[in-house]
Amino acid sequence: MGKLNNANESSLKIINAYLNEGWFRIAENMGFQCLKIESKDPRLDGIDSLSGTEIPLHYICKLATHAIHLVVFHERSGNYLWHGHLRLKGHIDKKFVPFQKLQFGRYPGAFDRPELQQVTIDGLTVRIPKNPVHFLEEIPHSRFIECRYKEARAFFQQYLDDNTVEAMTFRKSAKDLLQLAAKTLKKLGVRFWLSSGTCLGWYRQCNIIPYSKDVDLGIFIQDYKSDIIIAFQDAGLPLKHKFGKVEDSLELSFQGKDDVKLDIFFFYEETDHMWNGGTQAKTGKKFKYLFPKFTLCWTEFVDMKVHVPCETIEYIEANYGKTWKIPVKMWDWKNSPPNVRSNGIWPISEWDEVIQLY
Amino acid sequence: MDDWKPSPLIKPFGARKKRSWYLTWKYKLTNQRTLRRFCQTGAVLFLLVTVIVNIKLILDTRRAISEASEDLEPEQDYDETLGRLEPPRRRGSGPRRVLDVEVYSSRSKVYVAVDGTTVLEDEAREQGRGIHVIVLNQATGHVMAKRVFDTYSPHEDEAMVLFLNMVAPGRVLICTVKDEGSFHLKDTAKALLRSLGSQAGPALGWRDTWAFVGRKGGPVLGEKHSKSPALSSWGDPVLLKTDVPLSSAEEAECHWTDTEMNRRRRRFCSKVEGYGSVCSCKDPTPIEFSPDPLPNNKVLNVPVAVIAGNRPNYLYRMLRSLLSAQGVSPQMITVFIDGYYEEPMDVVALFGLRGIQHTPISIKNARVSQHYKASLTATFNLFPEAKFAVVLEEDLDIAVDFFSFLSQSIHLLEEDDSLYCISAWNDQGYEHTAEDPALLYRVETMPGLGWVLRRSLYKEELEPKWPTPEKLWDWDMWMRMPEQRRGRECIIPDVSRSYHFGIVGLNMNGYFHEAYFKKHKFNTVPGVQLRNVDSLKKEAYEVEIHRLLSGAEVLDHSKDPCEDSFLPDTEGHTFVAFIRMEKEDDFTTWTQLAKCLHIWDLDVRGNHRGLWRLFRKKNHFLVVGVPASPYSVKKPPSVTPIFLEPPPKEEGAPGAAEQT
Repeated sequence: MGKLNNANESSLKIINAYLNEGWFRIAENMGFQCLKIESKDPRLDGIDSLSGTEIPLHYICKLATHAIHLVVFHERSGNYLWHGHLRLKGHIDKKFVPFQKLQFGRYPGAFDRPELQQVTIDGLTVRIPKNPVHFLEEIPHSRFIECRYKEARAFFQQYLDDNTVEAMTFRKSAKDLLQLAAKTLKKLGVRFWLSSGTCLGWYRQCNIIPYSKDVDLGIFIQDYKSDIIIAFQDAGLPLKHKFGKVEDSLELSFQGKDDVKLDIFFFYEETDHMWNGGTQAKTGKKFKYLFPKFTLCWTEFVDMKVHVPCETIEYIEANYGKTWKIPVKMWDWKNSPPNVRSNGIWPISEWDEVIQLY
Repeated sequence: MDDWKPSPLIKPFGARKKRSWYLTWKYKLTNQRTLRRFCQTGAVLFLLVTVIVNIKLILDTRRAISEASEDLEPEQDYDETLGRLEPPRRRGSGPRRVLDVEVYSSRSKVYVAVDGTTVLEDEAREQGRGIHVIVLNQATGHVMAKRVFDTYSPHEDEAMVLFLNMVAPGRVLICTVKDEGSFHLKDTAKALLRSLGSQAGPALGWRDTWAFVGRKGGPVLGEKHSKSPALSSWGDPVLLKTDVPLSSAEEAECHWTDTEMNRRRRRFCSKVEGYGSVCSCKDPTPIEFSPDPLPNNKVLNVPVAVIAGNRPNYLYRMLRSLLSAQGVSPQMITVFIDGYYEEPMDVVALFGLRGIQHTPISIKNARVSQHYKASLTATFNLFPEAKFAVVLEEDLDIAVDFFSFLSQSIHLLEEDDSLYCISAWNDQGYEHTAEDPALLYRVETMPGLGWVLRRSLYKEELEPKWPTPEKLWDWDMWMRMPEQRRGRECIIPDVSRSYHFGIVGLNMNGYFHEAYFKKHKFNTVPGVQLRNVDSLKKEAYEVEIHRLLSGAEVLDHSKDPCEDSFLPDTEGHTFVAFIRMEKEDDFTTWTQLAKCLHIWDLDVRGNHRGLWRLFRKKNHFLVVGVPASPYSVKKPPSVTPIFLEPPPKEEGAPGAAEQT
């Protein structure tokens, strides 16, 4: 692997199983000037008001013109590693190192757990990921946003959570379905994000909405692969209906167990907005749902690492309007969303192709 | 109209004469319309100025903020100022060298104020009777301990002597009496007070009031006393005001060698008193233990959750035993404290462990159950890879082979779905009914008191339907309900690996402890090899029971089973007795038998399909309920099952089943 490059700054990542700070003192004794960034543990935020000691997020040690940035990764439910935001509290010297140039810390980040291998570089034994390319590729797409636990608690103060057996069973089935879908799409290498009711559940209450009836995912149309349908079938989710075509308004729906459906909406990109399509099977009417452009961020939802739109509030408000905070049990996909537009009608000749029900 | 002549009084019509400009302006200014216009313009101008100033202010602030965070993403930050509630404490000790102390003692109210801050105030009725003791740090004036000893009642003076003896020399002691504190103040306590220099303390009489400020081992700083004039009345209220000179920080502290451990010790000892030799200058008790490592430790990476409230001295005792257990991994321990109490956190920090405080929700037992839920969820969040969690409480002694016991049995919880938990506690394991530390049982109850919870059970079944905060249920009783347990069983040892020492608590009191917990057998043998662990799996256990019953000697059922003579004077034999058990839930005879054997009789524990296993006189004693138990087939036809009738109900039958 050769020499360590980045003469002026190197990033080291460590996994925090139990961080012993003896090394900190040794570094200081050697002449390093070290800076420690810590913050509250986000894994405790989801639970009503727990507060422990702060956890270390970043260490930056400086000696002359060299600086070492030590990023502390923490394990989280969902089998991923998370690192925190490098936020400088009031008294810290903003010129300690050129913070703008640091590769990590601009946002919190989430990474798949890498397997490590031991190598020798410059006579030092260090560990690096077994698949360094994969790890490096993750970096630009690693931005992580936390679920809004505080707002979710406020929501449940107002609208009591549904604790009936039906709600619990639905939640469990939906969670299982989501996990299966995630696994299948990951194997195919297809990116997806939480959409519609599932996204609203994440944003509003950090949980699956009990009366939502199905799991909704979004996929960029350019990520579409023709073997999606077969892959889901093999995973035990038969195709329930297929609307539209790759060129226009594609929508897939798979049948999960316990009557829970998996709806996949494909998003098309225009110059200044995104949209996905809908079809009414009986009449062949087409619908278009408009969204402002968005990028994808990671988040944690029902013990899984999944994507959501980074610009979530705009996404939600496009789909549900400004009154998204108020639970609505009767939602008509043809009329209720504020961003729905009628988009004409499929010509009858195409109906066999664009409306397939099983 | 020809002879119309203009009136001489009227001014000739024509161009107006130019007025002097002074008059012009005067008229303009005093004109009503002008005035109004003037006011309107003034108001508009004023508004404009305000708006401009505001805009400038906003822009300036924006610029200042963006400069401050130019490297960073503006992010929502919740609760950055989550303050920990701190008890009233003396404000910064600047160059102050003297403390101003006020102590008040009376029949119904006591208070103590240090430099104007009230550190103790009790004027509630029906509580706080006796001698209140406060210990202050002699260098900072900080309150280190607060105790109350109801020396009107017996044995409290002994506790007070114990406590005062443990206080480090030089500490400032404050004593004050509320209501009555002399009735059971015996000679030892009086002698101790005399040695502190008190004159009124040793002479304290019935319903006297007394306020005292002194140093441990040093001189009295102030004392006031009022004798009660008659048996039916109290001494006058006394208010004692003294100045307490502060010593330097150095004098107040010990000089232990500078290690990380002793730094923790110093931090603890300068904040808290009442822990005895932990803070002794000459011979401090160790706070780090090096128990033997456990070879092939299967529970090395299992997180341990200690559920704690506000009993820091209990927590201290518990953590000492936990950290001395063989195979313990201190970094896997998390102490969850139900409330923002300082002293338990101080104890946790003393041992260098991780502590998390929980904002209490709800009341009474619902508060405990919400605390359990938050703690268990947090444990599995912090250790996402863990498949199990060990759940302990602050009032348990942990056996030295606790982790060894778990390491040998945990694979059962992994492999056998019919298991609900593994617990270290045998409900029926008393000193006279438990013998074999290598023996394990399967039971249909969830004993708690040191147990292992499977992650999948918690995440998939219990957490989603955990009782909500308004349900006043005991979490462990809820877990024992058939809807939760669903016919699964727990593994327990014959000799418990935990000892419940808590006397004070939500569900505890001295009497209850004496009756049901004091004489519980506790294993002190290290490194016990459990016997035949795989025979605890579902089918294998039935084979084992079958073998035991086939080889068991049937006792003489005409004798009284409560008598010791029911079993012969042998040792190491296996005996079986059959009792009447009409249906699966008929425990009449068993309960009577449990009562007379002085084991747990408040509800039914320890049974496995109508079979109980215990020891009597060092013999293995099996009890089978006939005909409800499937093991009834082992009963010889000639034997009549024993029937014990409950005694006829007397008035005031002892209370309902209380669980800890």
